[in-house]
Amino acid sequence: MDQKQLRALEARCTQEEPPPCQAGCPLGVDARDFHNEMGKKKYAQARKILEKHIPLSPIVALLCEGPCRAFCHRKDLGGSINTPQLEKFCIENSQSKARTLPLPPKFHKVALIGSGPDALTASFDLVKKGYKTFLYHLEEGPGSWLIGHKLLEQEILDTEIAGLKKLGVHFIAVEKLNKEHIPIDEYHALLLSDNADILSGDSHTPDFETGHIHDCYFTSPFAKSEHPFIDAISGGRLAALSIDRFLQGASLTASRVQMRRGKTDLYVNTSEIPSVPLIVSQNQGTYTEDEAVNEANRCIRCECLECVKKCTFLQEYKAFPKTYARRIYNNSAIVKGNHQANKMINSCSLCRQCEVVCPNDFSMADLCLEARSQMVKEDRMPPSAQHFALEEMHSATAEGQFLSHAKGQKDSTALFFPGCQLAGIRPEQSAKLYGVLTKSQPQTGLWLDCCGAPLYWSGRTDEFAQFTTEFVRKWRSMGEPDIITACSSCQYIFENHLVDETGEKVLPVVRSAWQTIADLDIDATGAGELLAVSDPCTARHNTDIQEAVRGLVIKAGYRLSPLAASKELTECCGFGGLMESCNHDLATKVVTARAAQTEDTILTYCAMCRDQIAKTGKEVTHILDLLFSDTAIVASDAPITLSGRRHNRRLLKTRFQETLVGEITPPRDWEAVTLHIDSEVAGTLEVRRILIDDIQKALHCALERGRFFQHGNGETKMCYHTAGTVTYWVQFREDDGYHIEGAWSHRMTITEGPQ
Amino acid sequence: MNLSFLPEDMDWTCQPCGVKLVPQISELTYLGASFKVELPCCPQCGATLISEELALGKMFEVEQLLEDK
Repeated sequence: MDQKQLRALEARCTQEEPPPCQAGCPLGVDARDFHNEMGKKKYAQARKILEKHIPLSPIVALLCEGPCRAFCHRKDLGGSINTPQLEKFCIENSQSKARTLPLPPKFHKVALIGSGPDALTASFDLVKKGYKTFLYHLEEGPGSWLIGHKLLEQEILDTEIAGLKKLGVHFIAVEKLNKEHIPIDEYHALLLSDNADILSGDSHTPDFETGHIHDCYFTSPFAKSEHPFIDAISGGRLAALSIDRFLQGASLTASRVQMRRGKTDLYVNTSEIPSVPLIVSQNQGTYTEDEAVNEANRCIRCECLECVKKCTFLQEYKAFPKTYARRIYNNSAIVKGNHQANKMINSCSLCRQCEVVCPNDFSMADLCLEARSQMVKEDRMPPSAQHFALEEMHSATAEGQFLSHAKGQKDSTALFFPGCQLAGIRPEQSAKLYGVLTKSQPQTGLWLDCCGAPLYWSGRTDEFAQFTTEFVRKWRSMGEPDIITACSSCQYIFENHLVDETGEKVLPVVRSAWQTIADLDIDATGAGELLAVSDPCTARHNTDIQEAVRGLVIKAGYRLSPLAASKELTECCGFGGLMESCNHDLATKVVTARAAQTEDTILTYCAMCRDQIAKTGKEVTHILDLLFSDTAIVASDAPITLSGRRHNRRLLKTRFQETLVGEITPPRDWEAVTLHIDSEVAGTLEVRRILIDDIQKALHCALERGRFFQHGNGETKMCYHTAGTVTYWVQFREDDGYHIEGAWSHRMTITEGPQ
Repeated sequence: MNLSFLPEDMDWTCQPCGVKLVPQISELTYLGASFKVELPCCPQCGATLISEELALGKMFEVEQLLEDK
């Protein structure tokens, strides 16, 4: 990803766009933040926000007409926030702590003709920039029109004028604001305010974007607007900026930030925000403290965060997609130092819920997948992050793979592909389901394998392409039958990512087992019990599967309980995208949040989702438990162990090898090592992802070579075995088999022998 | 300076050498980075013992740091 692509991606996340009130404020005041501080009674902080954008804030805040209110999302939900009243309350109940430090003096002299709001604002802005600033006013005094219209107390005006004088603004009273009374040739630039009689005729019309009239003459371009006061303030600021550019010889228009006039791309979902009526002051237009706080807290604090609100992963790293895109870009750009976003990149479940909820289809999945792919390509993917998941895949492929036509058949019209997780978690039910499928269509072959999803998730693009090419070759060798799968992740891979040896996309006919058996007669054992269907994230867009499963649930005598994040909005169980492998703690948070979304028993049609949710202690059942009640796993049962899954895959393969093709697989040498493991140690092994297989292999290897460490107590022994990039250590006692006291692993290699 | 990661319990004997493990300097390597550390070793065959505490503590920490380098 280059800078241009990054910026295009960032632009799709609107969270940093200004709220409509800010976009609608001619001075760009962030009223959202202001309301936030006001709501917490932090008036000094609130005032600081006003003073950041508003010149002469005591005057402006008191007289602002509130153009922001036209854009407020509360407008139709009780009424726009009364920001002008809140500003007034803030100014009257806080002290200014602003310190204005003018820049070093400049050579140029600027004259401001008249003392309207525009001229007062421009005097403030220009004197701060170091210009010699002279404000000409009529003899009744600068800003006297404010007093004349009883808009402001004299004391406030006097304080602000004194402040301007202190900063260096020269106030000069003249009889008339014309050339006779003002030596205009002495000035390098002039701003013409109300009543200035310097120019005449059409030449007085300014450029709307810059306030430039001609030569060195400027004025506010917003003289006759709907909000005359605040627009005059804004116009004075705009003209002062133009004068500054003019005097520096810079372009008046280049790279100039245009006024938004309420335009913002910030997406705000107000569909669930209740209407709350406007707080009306009971005290002649002045809020009491309670009224002010309540009104400030009516503000909905406009923001998007549609994806973050729903996604535990996005919440985990305390930001939003635009920031994540930048972090990921920076992570790739680091040459020396720590790649701090590695874990984040590998933690996304790639469930693609963000794409559905984002108004601009921002995809964290694509962003993370691309970053992973780049990490793999540049050989900087942390080896431990994806190790276990890829080992699982390797095992399912190397030890659990089996492909055959149905018993007695020479061809297959379809192949049943249960998926490696269903085979590992529910071997008995996988076999039963195969039985049902062959009963209705005898030429249904069987394919036990992994679909390659872990490779896809890992960003190993080349390896994944090789894998799918080999997959396609096997499928073609079976006569290109339909594929019936019981795993929506497998289905997603088959429908989107299969390529042949020429790199051409291959699209086999893929059907879900749940659709295939939709017409199956099943016992209605449910007795009206409620089940909340949790759709796997890879079935997000597959409404046919979603409906087929719901149909089966109803047929089994159950009722459907609503689950907010389901169907198109469904979320990951914490396993997908290698989240569980890379960030176990986050995966636990994700599935815990998922389980908490309903009080009813959850039903899912993904074997892995069922076991992930079961880890939380939540009652959760699989669709096959409804279909095959004689082999049903109790909804409150704990998930199967990692070792159990591996064992089951081998078992299922052995069973079908025997029944379908009559082959007997002899057990491996290390499988004969008998272990005794108490439940506490077994729990530790599960957390450390050390399998019974690993321990058996370590012991088998040590015993065969006669190499181990013996403790002085005469009982305890220790051995190790390096498998690939991981070394496994086992502490054990020998007594009618091997009692395992503990096991651990590391990835560092030991250069044995004293140095 | 070499780091020492000797377990409290050094009462281990290497089999089949039949010799007690003694503190020796070994080299640990991961992702191209090497560290010389003092570990229990067999003085005869050089077999080195990595305790549970070391593997799950300092060693794991360093592995994670190197992976993000």
